[in-house]
Amino acid sequence: MPDYYDISDILMEDEAVSVVFHVGANGVGLLDPGTETNSVEKGAKIDLPFWLAHELCRRRAVSITIPSCFGQKMKKDVQADAACVDLGTRYPYFYEFGCKLFPLVGDKSMGPFLRHTFASRYKEMLSKSHTASLNAIPKFVLRLSKEEYQLFEAARSSMVEFKKWRVRDLGLMKTTIVGHKRKTDLH
Amino acid sequence: MAGQSDHSLSIFSAAEVEFIAEDEMIEIVPNIRMDALNLLCGDFGPFLPQIPCTVPLWLAVALKKRGKCSIRTPDWMSVEKLTQVLEAERESPREFQPLPFHYVEISRLLLYHAHDDIPEVYMVRSLIEDIRNVRFHKVESGLETISGRTHAVKLKNLSAMEVNLVRPFMARVLQAFYKHDSPEMVQQADTSASKRPQVVDRGPRRDLRPR
Repeated sequence: MPDYYDISDILMEDEAVSVVFHVGANGVGLLDPGTETNSVEKGAKIDLPFWLAHELCRRRAVSITIPSCFGQKMKKDVQADAACVDLGTRYPYFYEFGCKLFPLVGDKSMGPFLRHTFASRYKEMLSKSHTASLNAIPKFVLRLSKEEYQLFEAARSSMVEFKKWRVRDLGLMKTTIVGHKRKTDLH
Repeated sequence: MAGQSDHSLSIFSAAEVEFIAEDEMIEIVPNIRMDALNLLCGDFGPFLPQIPCTVPLWLAVALKKRGKCSIRTPDWMSVEKLTQVLEAERESPREFQPLPFHYVEISRLLLYHAHDDIPEVYMVRSLIEDIRNVRFHKVESGLETISGRTHAVKLKNLSAMEVNLVRPFMARVLQAFYKHDSPEMVQQADTSASKRPQVVDRGPRRDLRPR
């Protein structure tokens, strides 16, 4: 269940999902830009924010269709190369959203799909996040979802802090610390 | 501090780990005469010139700063020992060599304050750097093999500073994997009970070193 005070949860639940109404609803015509009367017809396809769709789905008033971010095209992209999929700009709440959506929609393959995506991107992220420096933001950071970005930040900030501590009093001796470059270094 | 945004992952800053490391005992050779020090953590002294004695590192550094002693290098910090350790680290891709728990902090403090007391100080410094790099890469490559069913990650012989470095990342990664894994396990119990013999079984322990 979403954390009531968690701001990222609140933002995440604002994502739009497309739903199909099972019942007609009166007085909420502004949800559907195409109606003349102030009501929504049964069987209409509307875009609602997730928090609304979630509640209505619990009361069996609507059924949620899987949004495009979990559809076939995304699955093909992930299978091709999971690390290059651009989750940061398009779907920053990819994983949280998927976890929330998963019990509502009857698609059993979505859970393993999420985990597989995360696992393959994680390998890529691991080495890069530890060696990234403070100022240069590697391009792949823009491709991370919010959750992955937190992981990346945690690793990077602890690494940077350690480096600062290491050269703290050394002053002129800093040059002897610069060792051989390894292939995973991103400088 | 790296972990502050998430209070459940409170970690130590590097300076705090150094502070804890300063409690290690080390040998010094004083060059002054001083009475015994009766401190809360123990009694040290009396200090006689040219008689070696064992004191905590913070006391040794304080005395050294005032020019009252010279610090004797610990055994593990000699060039031969360090070269041995480095060779062994490079040879075994999954094991970590036993090193003192606070070797990073102790070496840094000694190299800064007592570099005239250490023989071949530049060699020692570069050896320790290399050892640190090799171990850290081992940690990283071990972390790559974490899958969803990892309940615990065991790293033997890792030093305090290295642990502190990976702690926030590893905690969050394990949390994320756990979050992704648990509902699927429950859901799949209904559909594919025949495929998986025991769904509630703990996954294989993921050791980062052979037992």
